Amino acid sequence: MSTSTSNVHAHKAEIFCRDESRVDWHSKALWALREKRDRAAGSIPEWEQLRQIGSEMKLHTLSHLADYLEKFEQNCIKNNISVHWAKDGAEHNRIVHEILAKHQVKKIVKSKSMLTEECHMNPYLEERGIEVIDTDLGERIIQLAKMPPSHIVVPAIHMKKEEVGDLFHEKLGTDAGASDPLYLTRAARRHLREQFLSADAAMTGVNMAIADKGAVVVCTNEGNADMGANLPKLQLHSMGIDKVVPDLDSAAVLLRTLARNATGQPITTYSSFYRGPQDGGEMHVIIVDNGRTDMLKDKILAESLKCIRCGGCLNTCPVYRRSGGYSYNYTIPGPIGIAVGAQHDDTNSIAWACTLCGSCSYVCPTKVPLDKIIHHHRRLKAEAGKLPYGKSNYMPLVGKFMASETALNCSMAIARTALRMLPGSLLKPFSGAWGKYRELPVAPNSSFEAWFKKNRG
Amino acid sequence: MSSKQEIFNALKSVAIEPQPMPCFDIAPRIDDLVGQFEANLTTVAGTLHRDGGLANLQATIDKHIAQGMQVISMVDGIKGNREVTATAHELRDIDYAVIPGDVGVAENGAIWVNNKNLGHRVTPFICENLLLVIEAKSIVANMHQAANLITLAPGEFGTYIAGPSKTADIEQALVVGAHGACSLNVYLT
Repeated sequence: MSTSTSNVHAHKAEIFCRDESRVDWHSKALWALREKRDRAAGSIPEWEQLRQIGSEMKLHTLSHLADYLEKFEQNCIKNNISVHWAKDGAEHNRIVHEILAKHQVKKIVKSKSMLTEECHMNPYLEERGIEVIDTDLGERIIQLAKMPPSHIVVPAIHMKKEEVGDLFHEKLGTDAGASDPLYLTRAARRHLREQFLSADAAMTGVNMAIADKGAVVVCTNEGNADMGANLPKLQLHSMGIDKVVPDLDSAAVLLRTLARNATGQPITTYSSFYRGPQDGGEMHVIIVDNGRTDMLKDKILAESLKCIRCGGCLNTCPVYRRSGGYSYNYTIPGPIGIAVGAQHDDTNSIAWACTLCGSCSYVCPTKVPLDKIIHHHRRLKAEAGKLPYGKSNYMPLVGKFMASETALNCSMAIARTALRMLPGSLLKPFSGAWGKYRELPVAPNSSFEAWFKKNRG
Repeated sequence: MSSKQEIFNALKSVAIEPQPMPCFDIAPRIDDLVGQFEANLTTVAGTLHRDGGLANLQATIDKHIAQGMQVISMVDGIKGNREVTATAHELRDIDYAVIPGDVGVAENGAIWVNNKNLGHRVTPFICENLLLVIEAKSIVANMHQAANLITLAPGEFGTYIAGPSKTADIEQALVVGAHGACSLNVYLT
């Protein structure tokens, strides 16, 4: 079993939690998104119906995925779109590089794509002499700061405006000490306009791929995907196999829930449908597996592929909000990050970065049963003999202990007495990590069993 | 074996039971479509001009032109001072672009535009300010209805535009005007 202690979730979270005021600020910023989401969802009476339809439509598509992917490819070809297949991240990067090298691309502008993060595409292209410019403002900020994203929708949510101001002063020459978001955004606009106009190629992620049209849908608020894809003559779109939907009607269902659930907007500013390249241009779609077919072989994990990457589960998660996006040892943080990343987590800790409260499943626009999937990951880790340090030693004992009525009743009686009689300072060490940030409970007078016998029996 | 073949082979062992496609039977809200549209357009930071139609729009544009602004119009009957350029990149100094919208969506303030009416596809994004023209009778209740009306022929590009470009990536502060247009005015005809 490999354990790199420094990447264990609890350890990373502890580092994030050292600055208490920042944690509060982070938690509140995300909760504000959750509140906006609630208002947007509450404003349309059919919200729950849309979640149900979205879920069923995605399950239908995933259970007929080969048919829809085949149809999507055939229709793309009719629209003069080249389709490429990659079984993993390495093959994806190789394909992208081949296309760019063939066109002697020196600079590529890119809009947000969690898939290319998952494939670690940027460093691969940079090593081969291609300049990669992330154009979503949040992504550009973290790219300049040489950091990975800490959230899938608002990637620089962990940074304060003063930090962005200092970064832009150093990299873009904005005024020293300036931290006004409007001023900084305008500076980024000017800087990135030059990049759009001088790029040789553009790449975007894909929000939905429409099988019966052979078209890809890309959603942004900033317009960066469309500024990119519509200036240079070469456009590339990377998508996971799970992004395909049957038709325009299906895409409409997801477009109704995506932005409402992400930021509380009724729809993203731009929802763009590319059904072929511009005049004289070239359009490529790269379809990537990278572990998705493995997930589909497990009935419970498969449901995580219904996800449309709105980030709603991150915003509501009590653990994510207080431990930050860098504590998960995977590209995607939060509940969905655990659901699709726990199998890659060599610290075997992120499956436990969850209270199983179920808030994520409750807000999910396609009803991904996130808490059920995370619980399932714990079982898979146990079955594989990969329980994190400690749990594999004491959990079997706890199990035996709790299975014995006599042992449990006896020790609980002792614990109740001890909590009443002994000073907290003496007992606190026995509570271990649990008691680190918690007070010991007030002992009840009797066990629940005794209470029940007396009052209801 | 090709990667496609490998992926398709793996897909033979999908564990999800085959599910039927659900029925999309959602009742549209059809009361006061223009009012709904205006309310939602306002929330996405766009402005609706209900009265005056094309004459009002032309008067506005004439003022912009008098101030030395660069205006391109793709709407019949509206005159700008710039023509469609040879390359998309030459649109970089456009201050105002006037573009016809095909379908308006009341529930979210979005307007569908198709590339046949754009000259270059980048026009509605690269312009500093965007002016969209839409017929009141082209406004539908929701995205399900819009999906049946939009045109997207093979090879085409189309986009739903809901307001001017915006971002909240710096401390969640909303800034209107990110990479696309900095303002959106919609003229009803």
